[in-house]
Amino acid sequence: MKESLIVFAKEIKDSLRDRRTLVTAVLMPIFLMPVIMIGTFKMQEVQMKKSEAQIPKIAFNIQADAPMLVNFLKNDKKYVVVADQTSDSAKAMMEKGDLNVYLEVAPTFEKMVSQGNPAEVKVYHKSSITDSVTAFQKVTIALQEFNQRTAVARLAQKNVPPAILTAILPTPVDFATAQERGGYFIGFLLPMFIVLFAIVGGMYIAIDVSAGEKERKTLEALLLTPASRFTIVTGKFLAVAATASTTIILSLFSLYAAFKFFPPNFGTGGEFIISLTPKAISIMLGVGVIMAIMFSGLLLSVAIFAKSYKEAQNYITPFYLLAILPVSIVSSIPGFKPTLPFFMIPGVNGVFVVKEVLLSQYDTTHILVTLGSLLVFAVIAIFIATKIYSREGVLFRD
Amino acid sequence: MIKVKNLTKVFNGLTAVKDVSFETRAGEIFGLLGPNGAGKTTTIRVIATVLQPTSGTAEVAGFDIIKQPEDVRRNIGVLTAEIGLYDRFTARENMRYFGHLYRMEGEALEKRIEYLIEALDMGRFADRRAGQFSTGMKQKVAIARSIIHDPKVIIFDEPTAGLDVLASQTVIAFMRKAREQGNLVVLSTHDMAHAQKLCDRVAIMHRSRLVALDTQERLLQQTNTRNLEDAFLQIVGEDAAKLVEHEREEQHLAGIKKKRRFGL
Repeated sequence: MKESLIVFAKEIKDSLRDRRTLVTAVLMPIFLMPVIMIGTFKMQEVQMKKSEAQIPKIAFNIQADAPMLVNFLKNDKKYVVVADQTSDSAKAMMEKGDLNVYLEVAPTFEKMVSQGNPAEVKVYHKSSITDSVTAFQKVTIALQEFNQRTAVARLAQKNVPPAILTAILPTPVDFATAQERGGYFIGFLLPMFIVLFAIVGGMYIAIDVSAGEKERKTLEALLLTPASRFTIVTGKFLAVAATASTTIILSLFSLYAAFKFFPPNFGTGGEFIISLTPKAISIMLGVGVIMAIMFSGLLLSVAIFAKSYKEAQNYITPFYLLAILPVSIVSSIPGFKPTLPFFMIPGVNGVFVVKEVLLSQYDTTHILVTLGSLLVFAVIAIFIATKIYSREGVLFRD
Repeated sequence: MIKVKNLTKVFNGLTAVKDVSFETRAGEIFGLLGPNGAGKTTTIRVIATVLQPTSGTAEVAGFDIIKQPEDVRRNIGVLTAEIGLYDRFTARENMRYFGHLYRMEGEALEKRIEYLIEALDMGRFADRRAGQFSTGMKQKVAIARSIIHDPKVIIFDEPTAGLDVLASQTVIAFMRKAREQGNLVVLSTHDMAHAQKLCDRVAIMHRSRLVALDTQERLLQQTNTRNLEDAFLQIVGEDAAKLVEHEREEQHLAGIKKKRRFGL
């Protein structure tokens, strides 16, 4: 086994001198992870403030047909009522963003309201335009308020107490802590990045030690040494796994530090707090590192088939998509409840465990099944890599 | 030192080496000659245990290639036809890595490296990264790497390919010196004129088979020729030589087709 360590030490030293490995395995996780995570929150924060501050632009077909409603909206400083439009011109303006909501009333509108009959008001909006949707929600609330005020006024005329309209009073009580809400938020992105880094971290070195060795024509000289093929693969595998694990460890620590020193608090009055506990970080580390080890074995098996760097990248791209697609799909479905078998799929299981951990749900069964599955796949991957390395056809494909 | 017994190697139905037998002894330069594609490199790879023989076997310094492959590798130094170095390592680091893989360490290894740097005249570039080396410089480092463990059996596959006259002379001098020290040097080359100057005994391979095995003098005498090249043509017949060339060209094209079919 001493030869494995010699090969390992050489590969690590070699890749430390390679700028590509340094960038993908060390610099990227340290800077990219916190930048992306905190950047996303900042962007969401800005977006939320922007939509809160947005003043909907409303147009009527004929303001003169609904003076009460127009006055109500105009008095509320949160809306701007612009000049009257036909429905066609209003639609054109909404496309351009000059108008957000268009209200269409019948000529009999005012009369019906004052007589106490329900009067229809059509609320035109475009659900494919975000600004229009937010404005629509705000206008709907304003219209309900108008409804209520009118109803209260009508009841007062008839000497009926307005409280009679309220049968029940639902009071929502959210007992999720600010941390848990933050965890829910971060759960959409972070788990995917852990899987991503588990693959990307070892990618360059995996190519370098296998296909790269063929491209440089050093492989045969290496096979001529007394070191057995098994010890050579083991050494190479250790180098790839160590690099990928370093990537995961660096990225998680850098994220932990970033959240510790610049905690992104947003929502009004700190509704969301992102803080990672040491327990959460250590479970993520465990899952991330074993995932990195497993992917290292697979990468090594795939890359050895290639004769050159370029070819290896061609082989790894579909592999990478195959690994990352299910992960990104399941992690973007909100509220997806994984059953136990999902915790056996490598990559996907990591996503779910990390998600749970972020919500402070420590499910021992899920964690153990995930770790077990990843370990089994890691052993299979190493076994496959060793088998492939002892095949003459793969090593001397020229 | 090397005993090859009825060695055969088949790749995917293609026979690369067929029933080859020969013996060599210490203190000689043995030429393994033949045109490109005759099966020389495959023979060397099987002897060096990088490939498994389909049938037959060989012994190197008393060790069997099938039963004791690691002992064989410890006693043999092979310069492969295709040389490659770790570009991000210096010449010295390249040698040191291989020294470690042969379980050499510390001062003994450093001394050996220093000796080879002297012997192959590499002093000017020993501590520079191999990525910037010329073919000649790379070849010297590759030679040093292949004999870092001071093996009793040295096999050089086309050692002077791509070298200029001066660099070739260094390599040739080195081979002669190794012979003087009682080592066995096997020189595999398609360059018969080159082999004629160096080799004591030669084996000629043609179409995966051994077609001649003798001392140079006797071979020239038997064929009544003045040089090995003529002797080779005499043995295989000029027409046959041409036929082989055509066959090889066709095989190459077929190989490309096959690659396309299996390539992703």
